[in-house]
Amino acid sequence: MQDDYKHKLQSYSRRLFLERASLLSGMVALGGGSYLLNPKGAWSADPIKVGIATDLTGPISWGGIPNSNVAKMVIDDWNANGGLLGRPVQMILEDTATNEQLAVTRVRKLVTQDKVDVVFGGITSSMRNAIKDTIVNRGKTLYIYPQLYEGLECTKYLYCTGPTPAQQCDTFIPWLMKNGGKKFYLPSADYVWPHTLNKYARKVIESNGGEVVGEEYFPVDHNEYSATVNKIMSSGVNVVFNTTIPPGVAAFFKQLYEAGFSKKGGRLACVYYDENALNITPAHEIEGLASCLDYFKAINDPFGNKVQEEYNKLYAAKNPLTAGSAATGMWRGLNLWAESVKAAKSVKRDDVAAAMEKAKLADGIGGGCEVVPGTWHVKMNMYTAVANNGKYVIVEKSKGMVDPKECLKA
Amino acid sequence: MSAIPFFFDVLAYSAIFVLVVLGLGVIASMMGIFNFAHGEFVLLGAYTVYLVTEQGLPAWVGMLAAPFAVALVGLILERVVIRRFYAAPIVAMLGTYAIALVLREGVRMLLGGQFFNVVAPLVGSFSIGDVLISKWRTAVIVITALVMVGSYLLLTRTRFGLQVRASLENPALARASGISIGRIYTATFTFGAALAGLAGGLMVPIYALNADMGVPFLIKSFLAVMLGGMGSFEGSIVGAAFVGATSAALPWAIKPVVADMLVFLIAIAIVKFRPEGLLSTWRK
Repeated sequence: MQDDYKHKLQSYSRRLFLERASLLSGMVALGGGSYLLNPKGAWSADPIKVGIATDLTGPISWGGIPNSNVAKMVIDDWNANGGLLGRPVQMILEDTATNEQLAVTRVRKLVTQDKVDVVFGGITSSMRNAIKDTIVNRGKTLYIYPQLYEGLECTKYLYCTGPTPAQQCDTFIPWLMKNGGKKFYLPSADYVWPHTLNKYARKVIESNGGEVVGEEYFPVDHNEYSATVNKIMSSGVNVVFNTTIPPGVAAFFKQLYEAGFSKKGGRLACVYYDENALNITPAHEIEGLASCLDYFKAINDPFGNKVQEEYNKLYAAKNPLTAGSAATGMWRGLNLWAESVKAAKSVKRDDVAAAMEKAKLADGIGGGCEVVPGTWHVKMNMYTAVANNGKYVIVEKSKGMVDPKECLKA
Repeated sequence: MSAIPFFFDVLAYSAIFVLVVLGLGVIASMMGIFNFAHGEFVLLGAYTVYLVTEQGLPAWVGMLAAPFAVALVGLILERVVIRRFYAAPIVAMLGTYAIALVLREGVRMLLGGQFFNVVAPLVGSFSIGDVLISKWRTAVIVITALVMVGSYLLLTRTRFGLQVRASLENPALARASGISIGRIYTATFTFGAALAGLAGGLMVPIYALNADMGVPFLIKSFLAVMLGGMGSFEGSIVGAAFVGATSAALPWAIKPVVADMLVFLIAIAIVKFRPEGLLSTWRK
């Protein structure tokens, strides 16, 4: 039997090679993961082109899928209401496949071949860093990044519409001290977001009279945490401010639960934990977990409920619209951009950017928001919620919009 | 007082590792094929448990079903794809890698890229003095020990085991003696897949179900097989226990990021000085 296959391998002819090579090159040339979503109806004007570059496949697709869903829903709404500036809006969706190298070629296609008027997308910071130069500098196109992130992104024409460390820590950490204690432990995944966020969190903890007992970094795919759990349990830590990430976070929370951390009065905190993340671990293991985000379903605001209802009607419940997946940042970014286009009466980059500086939404998902001029970041309401039997309960609302505190000139 | 959690942790993590490596070791050592889809077989086992619990059935039913479901997938893959690669192990690696991608992205699509939890049949912990010990991890240690002994007996004490070892040692002679090595290979691959399915089923309550759950184990599992030495079942187990134990023990003393690298460095050093595997002297 083995000899037969050896023979077949040896008889691999030039013709066969050429046949297969041409098939392969054809497949590569056609490409996958690129979708053109044309506006419905008959339009006389040329379309405005919106590029969405997000991770529809690969490990970050939990965020990319709801991002593209929200974009499609919002853009369909615009088109159903007469488009923007009387022109239809065409959505060009590129799958960046959680792969930075691939993403650069995909956004290059968006800005050079499709000549889009704006690009939305990227979930991870590494993705943003990989594609921003191609979009903003070489492509001379406006770029809007929707995810909560570590801050320090001060690039002209690049607007960040998700929460920053200041927005996630300034009210949250004092709350944790009041409702947990002053001794903090910072277990983290070893990449840019936890490192930078921890630096900020440590500052807030210490300036409020708290103490960081330990700050520890793990490889991103780490899944064994008992050494850390033991340190946490033996050093009398009150608050575990977690920035380890899925999938490892499931094993970590389980080990922490099994060691009796919460039972002994400890408070678990994690600022990317949204309704979606509640599925990662059984409810009893994260009872009392606190999170701080720009939106939770539990805030029960009429505007957010309406958006949720529309979203759930269109898309299956498997990819819900939540804050941790950047879907709320995407919604905010799209609407701020549309307001700016209307105000500028143009889609040219400089005109829209000038209008973006003054852009605000009176109401939105999680409440109104506004761009802080000269900082490319957005002021928004923040909410602190605690997991209670598999659901969030809101325990604190920010007093008005919280400042992102980014890109401030000294 | 931290001695108990330390030893328990080392034992529990080693047990999970041995469980994952068992199937890989069987296939690698008996057939000479490095199955890059092994992590995805583990994933399919976990997914089976999830599907069963979604139907409202208890998790242990899914855990019983998982090895059979994954064995079936392994059987089909062996008949359709893998058997074409026995003559070319390098091509086999690429082939199984492709299968892995298809399975992983397939499950990812079914899950919408999301994470899901499965509640263990045994929830919570029992206490030894001040220390709380996880019930489910204890169960996994016991089950691993049983599976290990069972597999060992199957391969060393049964007619099937004899035929498998004969086919490995000398395929031509085995065939001349009337053993259908094609069928033996199919059975071995199916058995390896079943072990992976069982590992996935038992692991899923500890780690959340997601498309990438098999990935972190894959490279370290290969390391374990290399350490143990190709062509020996016991070797794979010893290698797995070694990799699992060092991975769990080192973070108690040094930074986890450094520990991760050190596991590989130590293993590479051992392979350098003992290319035949950890048990080479003992076997002689």
